[in-house]
Amino acid sequence: MAMKALDIYKLLPKTNCKKCGYPTCLAFAMKLAAGKAEVEACPDLDPATKALLGGATRPPIRLVQVGVGERAVAVGEEFVLFRHEKTFYHPPGILVQVSDTWPEEQVRSIVETVRDTVVHRVGMDLVLNGVAVRNESGSPDRFAETVALAGGGSALPLVLIADDPASHEAALAVAGHYRPLVHAATGENWQDLAALAKRYGCPLAVRAAGPGALAALARSCADAGAQDLMLDPVPGSIQNYIAVATGIREAAIARTEPALGYPIYLDATRFREIDAALAAGILKYAGIIVAPPLSPATVTAALTLRQNIYTDPQKPIQVTPGVYPINDPGRDAPVLLSVNFSLTYFTLLGYLEASRIPCYLFVVDTEGLSVLTAVAGGKLTATLVADSLRNFGVEELVDHRVLIIPGYAAPLSGKIEDATGWKVMVGPRDAAELAEYLEKEWVA
Amino acid sequence: MKEGDDVTSNSEEPRSPIQEVRLGATRAEGGTREVSYVIGGWRDLPFTGNRPDRPLVALEVCDDPWLLPPVVRDYVGDLADNPDEWARAAERTYGADLVRLNFTSTKQRGFSAFGEITRTMERVLAATTRPLIVEGSSEPDLDSEVFRRCGEAGEGERLLLGTAEADRYRSVAASALAYGHAVIAQSPIDINLAKQLNILLRETGVPRDRIVIDPYTGALGYGFEYSYSVMERILLAAFAGDADLAMPMISAPADTLSVREVREAAEEDRDAMAVAWEFYTAYSAFVAGASIVCVHHPLTVKKLKEALEA
Repeated sequence: MAMKALDIYKLLPKTNCKKCGYPTCLAFAMKLAAGKAEVEACPDLDPATKALLGGATRPPIRLVQVGVGERAVAVGEEFVLFRHEKTFYHPPGILVQVSDTWPEEQVRSIVETVRDTVVHRVGMDLVLNGVAVRNESGSPDRFAETVALAGGGSALPLVLIADDPASHEAALAVAGHYRPLVHAATGENWQDLAALAKRYGCPLAVRAAGPGALAALARSCADAGAQDLMLDPVPGSIQNYIAVATGIREAAIARTEPALGYPIYLDATRFREIDAALAAGILKYAGIIVAPPLSPATVTAALTLRQNIYTDPQKPIQVTPGVYPINDPGRDAPVLLSVNFSLTYFTLLGYLEASRIPCYLFVVDTEGLSVLTAVAGGKLTATLVADSLRNFGVEELVDHRVLIIPGYAAPLSGKIEDATGWKVMVGPRDAAELAEYLEKEWVA
Repeated sequence: MKEGDDVTSNSEEPRSPIQEVRLGATRAEGGTREVSYVIGGWRDLPFTGNRPDRPLVALEVCDDPWLLPPVVRDYVGDLADNPDEWARAAERTYGADLVRLNFTSTKQRGFSAFGEITRTMERVLAATTRPLIVEGSSEPDLDSEVFRRCGEAGEGERLLLGTAEADRYRSVAASALAYGHAVIAQSPIDINLAKQLNILLRETGVPRDRIVIDPYTGALGYGFEYSYSVMERILLAAFAGDADLAMPMISAPADTLSVREVREAAEEDRDAMAVAWEFYTAYSAFVAGASIVCVHHPLTVKKLKEALEA
């Protein structure tokens, strides 16, 4: 079980010697409890205490890295079942599968697509993470050739999928130095694959139906020296995946079964409804998702969902308060009041850009709250609007003195007029109606 | 954990179930629907255990296409001008479990065609055999008359009537109570406001088994994560025994097809992008705990129903 900071503190030397890098033993204990520090950092603990604390304070899910270099993907080291409890830290890697029976050109083109696909969203570049090569030819040589064709792991992280240890041996001779994920150790081949993973220092996926069998196999492989493991629970359906993955995650973070404390591997190619499989993996705890070649729509939506779910809920996405010119506004353009909740901002931006009406979006700081919530919570006030008008220099941008406020802020219209001296017009509540509203109502 | 252990029963405390809410009324139940649904009644995280109900997919139709995203307008063609034909297609062609009739005409400036509300209600009810979700006006000045007409035309049909909000819930509640309907209670992505509104509705006389929570769903990429987490929090509060948050949830994103990704998609990719965008939003809402999701593109309905069986 996880230990609380105070319980850990009782076992520490309490000398505040700072050798661990933290100012006090209590500070070190708190880091340990959060899974953010290593027991080894304390030089004065006896081995028994170290072992006790080590088991209780290491992250409940091991951090496992696939690939090397810039595109390497590290997954695991998660602490919660629901993102609102803290946050999810390591977004799942999505790797696109090719077969060693496919023509060279096809493999090459998919690898290029994976390498070059970028979705730009909210200042971030979202990418696919690598290539999975499946051994369907039955030939170790053919497998190794395709792995080489996929870059051998030097550019993009790889998953090597084969049952036959001889195939893995051939592929690892090509790609073994680039930390490919070896998939998969089963009841039959685990000794050979664990030995290969150990020899090359590669992560290893273990495959078995159900948490019990997975835990047993993971323990065997770890004992054989393969430390960086992933769990493939071979789900029979997408819903079964959600159930099993939830069970594994619960057991891991409650530390009821340490052998389940590894990232989960989801083979999404098993399912016809690939979008549902991707969504399920992203939402529910997958570390590595292997998918068939994906359409542009699927890539965009899946990567966006992944970005959303792995956004830190403790830090709401806010936009910077200020005046945003849209569609090249002039001195007679309308000024639209809004708030710095990103959902509000981006929704408005979308509609306003589409309308092609030149205007200024005047975003005030409501601490990331929506209009409705900000009005109800007293975060959007006439004083704030007046101060912001002045601070952002809105008066210098336009010749008129008319402010359009959101429909939900209508109760504030009189107060805003009094505080600013500007005439206030109440706009619609729904951003979708803004374009029509401006066309009908705005006369500069 | 030993081999063969149940993978989902790790939690120690017994959970309280989600409140059951009936939607629609068959002839035996005093209405004219061929089916009615009871949603809720489950106490496991979505897709991790057994549940007596199944997730429901609603397709939105509207009485005035002026706010319709172009990608839907182009796909449904002439149906957009015939809400009853559209509703029939939603059910028979596209396979929706429910039709959501949105009276977008009431959002037009100077709306006064109240008689049309009744006529459209009657036509759509006659055209469909499934339970109906009805979205009335969103103008306090119109609410009373619009909701009265919606409620009256659907008397006995156990409509799901929307939308009640903190500052305007009385008209919806009054209509639901007078004509025997259930109510959608919408709050702006905030668990406390959701609870508060449910209490207000209850104090007005709307019983718990006639409330469906709409926690407000932002579009994928535009704040969806807030909605996803608030749904999970409401669900967990319900499991923990908070009866004022134990109602089933509906997720009805309004802007999913107006986002830049869909609008600016190449002509040949636009339907695919629209469906992908709606699908990821809707499927994720089910995973977070929604009992009903409402979508706009007909092709999303089929895809969701296939995914729920996968």
